[in-house]
Amino acid sequence: MSENTEKVESSCDARRRILNIAVSTVLLETGFHATDKMSLETLTEIVQCFLTEVGNSAKGYCELSGRVEPVIGDVMMAIINMGINLQGIEQYAARPNRHVIQPPQQAPVPRT
Amino acid sequence: MSRMSSPSIGMDEDSGAGHALTDFLLQLENYSPSIPDSVVAYYLNMSGFESQDPRLIRLIALASQKFLSDIANDALQHCKMRTSSQINQSSKNQKGPKEKKYVMTMEDLVPALQEYGISAKKPHYFV
Repeated sequence: MSENTEKVESSCDARRRILNIAVSTVLLETGFHATDKMSLETLTEIVQCFLTEVGNSAKGYCELSGRVEPVIGDVMMAIINMGINLQGIEQYAARPNRHVIQPPQQAPVPRT
Repeated sequence: MSRMSSPSIGMDEDSGAGHALTDFLLQLENYSPSIPDSVVAYYLNMSGFESQDPRLIRLIALASQKFLSDIANDALQHCKMRTSSQINQSSKNQKGPKEKKYVMTMEDLVPALQEYGISAKKPHYFV
């Protein structure tokens, strides 16, 4: 039991670490040179909450219209209903000098 | 308040919005946001969202990144304003421009988050 919870925690931490890196990358792009630990953790928590909330909300809209798999409309409804400003997202996507984080390595499947 | 109403401005132009959206979705086919797909997909799956379409995941990743970037931009403006007033005070004592280093602190982040409707409070006892 304790092994299992440890495993879950460590896998959460791996994703969390990548989110940390992503937040730091965005901050560097914005023009900050450094950040304190508390702000970084706050922003990481915000991003994590954002992703969870969009997922939850989009799933709600999807099931409300009797579908099983979400479509773009559900995602847009979720994002807009959260009050997120999506104007200029295309320009943001095409911005120069953007960094891409390497996806995490998958652990090889253990042989039995 | 103005931020909350701004997305609806885009939706008013009904003829172009839907078309632009599908175009944008096609562009996402071979685009990689900063946050890796697998990480975003993990958090989405945690909350019950399961999609086979990687473009939706990329769109969500991009939206979160832009949201974060907007907040960071606001915080940077706060930081610049705060440090420029400090530098003006200190430059009376010592002359010569110094290399500016912007450090994000909770002092800048809290007012920036406040504008987006997120209230963050710094605990007094946390070191």
